[in-house]
Amino acid sequence: MISLLLILLSSLFFVGIIIQTKAKIAARKMPSIFQPLSDVIRLFKKGAIYSSTTSIIFRAAPIVYFSSVLIAALFIPFGGNVGLLSFYGDFVFFAYLLAIGKFLMIIAAMDTGSGFEGMGANREALYSMLVEPAFFILAGSIALFTNNVSFQELFSNLHIVSSLSYSISVASIYVLIYIALVENSRMPVDDPKTHLELTMVHEVMVLDNSGFDLALIHIATWLKFAIYGSILANFLIKNTWSIYEQIGVYFVIQIAFAIIVGILESFKARNKMSKNPQWIIMLSAIAVVSFLTALIVAHKIILN
Amino acid sequence: MNFLFIIIYAITLIYFAYSERVKKFVWLLSVQGFVLFGMVFSSLKEIEIFDFIFILTETILVKSIIVPWFLNRVRKHNGLKRIHEPSIPVFYSVIIVILTLILSFVLSNNILNSQMHTQFFTVAFASVIFGFYFIINHKNIFSHLVGYLIIENGIFMISLAVGNTMPLLVNLAVLLDIVLGILVLGVFLNRVGNTFQSDEINQLTELKD
Amino acid sequence: MFIFFIIISIVISFSIFILKNKIATNILPIVFLILLIMLSGYAYMNINKTENYFFTYDSLGVLFTFVLTILSIATYYFSRSYLKNEDYSSRKVSVYYSALIMLITAIMTTYFSNNFAVLWVSIEATSLFVSMLIFFERTKVALEAAWKYLFVSSIGIAVAFIGILLMGIAVSNYGLTDLSFGTLSNVVKSMNTYWLKISVLFIVAGFSVKLSVFPLYAVAVDAKTIAPSPINAIMSTALVNVGFVAFFRTFAIISHTPILAWTQNVLFIIGLFSIFIASIQLTRVKRLKRAFAFSTMEHMGIISLGLAVGGIGYYAVILHIVLHSFVKAGLFYQINKIHSIFKSKWINDFSAYFKINPLAGLSLILGFISVLAIPPSGLFVSEFLIFKALFLSHQYIIAVVALILLTVIMVILSKIFLTILFGNVQENIKVDKINPLGNIIQLSFFGLVIYLGINPPPFFMDLINSSISILN
Repeated sequence: MISLLLILLSSLFFVGIIIQTKAKIAARKMPSIFQPLSDVIRLFKKGAIYSSTTSIIFRAAPIVYFSSVLIAALFIPFGGNVGLLSFYGDFVFFAYLLAIGKFLMIIAAMDTGSGFEGMGANREALYSMLVEPAFFILAGSIALFTNNVSFQELFSNLHIVSSLSYSISVASIYVLIYIALVENSRMPVDDPKTHLELTMVHEVMVLDNSGFDLALIHIATWLKFAIYGSILANFLIKNTWSIYEQIGVYFVIQIAFAIIVGILESFKARNKMSKNPQWIIMLSAIAVVSFLTALIVAHKIILN
Repeated sequence: MNFLFIIIYAITLIYFAYSERVKKFVWLLSVQGFVLFGMVFSSLKEIEIFDFIFILTETILVKSIIVPWFLNRVRKHNGLKRIHEPSIPVFYSVIIVILTLILSFVLSNNILNSQMHTQFFTVAFASVIFGFYFIINHKNIFSHLVGYLIIENGIFMISLAVGNTMPLLVNLAVLLDIVLGILVLGVFLNRVGNTFQSDEINQLTELKD
Repeated sequence: MFIFFIIISIVISFSIFILKNKIATNILPIVFLILLIMLSGYAYMNINKTENYFFTYDSLGVLFTFVLTILSIATYYFSRSYLKNEDYSSRKVSVYYSALIMLITAIMTTYFSNNFAVLWVSIEATSLFVSMLIFFERTKVALEAAWKYLFVSSIGIAVAFIGILLMGIAVSNYGLTDLSFGTLSNVVKSMNTYWLKISVLFIVAGFSVKLSVFPLYAVAVDAKTIAPSPINAIMSTALVNVGFVAFFRTFAIISHTPILAWTQNVLFIIGLFSIFIASIQLTRVKRLKRAFAFSTMEHMGIISLGLAVGGIGYYAVILHIVLHSFVKAGLFYQINKIHSIFKSKWINDFSAYFKINPLAGLSLILGFISVLAIPPSGLFVSEFLIFKALFLSHQYIIAVVALILLTVIMVILSKIFLTILFGNVQENIKVDKINPLGNIIQLSFFGLVIYLGINPPPFFMDLINSSISILN
């Protein structure tokens, strides 16, 4: 329960911190931290307009997307506390929950019949497909490392002792940050600020959504960021700490994550569109290396 | 501790497959030299001063300072393009290097020989195979030289894995040979750049009858 | 003694390189040649003696050193006329001689090294120095050939080094550290055959670039096409013998292990493929030297077959490679002359050589007979023995296929030779004064080949027999 509350709370200010960081680095006047929130409230007040060519899929997609992300948030544990839902192998379920939402968004984009949206959907599908092995290999290597296959046990049994396990955690955090960026269509892969349809990925997909639907999509994005931030936080929080310490560290990590995203977006140039697949497959490659390391640590590969 | 260096070496191999800039190749070779030093140093049981100096010369001085410095000079002399398009897309190269790494890890797991340090064999094998792949993949002869050096680094690790220490004199001669070979190859490369006005391998076709 | 020889050679070579004047380039190479003769005499006196821990004067090394010494003297003579004809600056001449001296020294070191590591080091050194000599004419093709040769042979030798290291596993199992051939042949018997096979494959594939046989033959052939002819005479003979020494030492180690039969099959494959590729490639050669480079490849293919079949084949192989050295050297000296008379490198430009220069024509005919192993030639004897061994060991298919391919090669080479010798007389060919001495050296080489084949002197047979005694 506590983890869900924390995720909801941190999702409210996450994107706000990102835009504040970016404004600070660009020496602009900083917007309020609740600017994204008021944007969404404004959107909620508006009615939605639907194109006459769209079908029920287009109307259903934002809601399904939002709810899938929300359900996924239920699985995230916090420190020693189990998430609201937890079972054997739940991280697979978690990954595919997110995938269902994304799938609906993709077919909804195709549903509009717009050429641009189809293109965006195509790219989004490709990048999600490529980033999937990275997530699973990473989860697999941590599972191997800790000998457990549910989120809760993964993190509660993650003991960092030797230099090798340090290297696994460094690689995991690195890969996880970039997975979060790819999944949320942020900088090196996609630029949320771009206004050219030809180079957009996620933004072009939601071009036809308006009002209530668009607000839901925005909230789902915040939630996703907060979910990945919580996974990162779980890597670093130790169960032995008191609950207040844990919550304090959790927020520190969430804020740090948001600032890192802001800094990366400010300083990193966006990849060329054709370089994106190879950039994403690199994440899988590093995940494979950490998997091999986990094999060594777990004595599945015996070397002398 | 050894494993940490092995992992870093594996990551440098992946970056070799990923990067397309000639400058980065030289930089990565230098990094590999330092990693090799770390490997040897952490596997030393007792430190003898001559051995230590020799290893220091071989890895840090030669592999990560002299050779990269020389390669950089060659690169500047020939005014090489910053980016060389490999003949196989980078996407597939990354997949191939991953597969090579997995293969060589599995292979070294299956070696049952108590005398061999199979931990070094893991990346050594991958490095040799990847060096060959790198040479085939790139069309300019500068990158071929880089590929040769990757193979040499792999062989260095195989000699660690096999663990038979040759006499120091012989080791020194081997090192001298390789360094001289690289220097002569570099000089030839400069001349190729001057004479052919290009460093692409498909320009070198005068020999065909 | 041997280490002093190496040091003195390096000093001589270096001082030629530094001094760059006429006196140095005239006198110092002769000093080196005298040193070489003295060393080969010394080695023969102290046969089977181990010196400086890494070098042994064994029979095979001594035999090849004799060949190398004779060829070095002849090459020095022809290098002088080659350098004078082309009128090179004294700076380039000094580079030529110093590289040549280092090449010969490195070749000597490979012959006498009793240790895989030293063998490897000196073979790498030979490819360094020979690539400098290939590039000597500074043309575009020379540059290309030198780059390719050095690069591919470095890669090949690196591959061979992996094989050597893997063989070293067996040594370190016994807690030993040296990679000498004696130790290796004792310990590899206990080695895992799987590893041994891999290591043999690596070594054979790596050193094939020196022997110019099947897997990595291409660069060696290209280099021989381009190199100056006197250098070519060394490259196609002494340097090929270096590759043979590497093959032979490896084979000697393997010959007492369970994988002998497997290794023999590998050598059969290498031999047959080499002859096959040589016969295919010969149909489309346009440069004269390239034809002879492929002919070298064919002879090395025959040698692989002989080494593989064993028995009387061993004797024939050593005989064949010694005789082949003299024949090829003589032919390349002759080609040097042909090139300078016709001022061309292409086969189509040569004709009526016999009319233009009768004595040289005669020596070319003798060389033609010798290289194709037509009866008075000594190569006939050795080839005959190899095929006899093949038939005796019931390798009928291999023998017949090889013979058919040899016939093809014979037809192609005869066509080339006969056009050069007896084609129509061309206009505007001026012949300078003919120096008979140049032809006398070649004629004596060809005569030596006939003599050694028909009536080998006892010391020669002793050397061959004692070098192959390790195999039986």
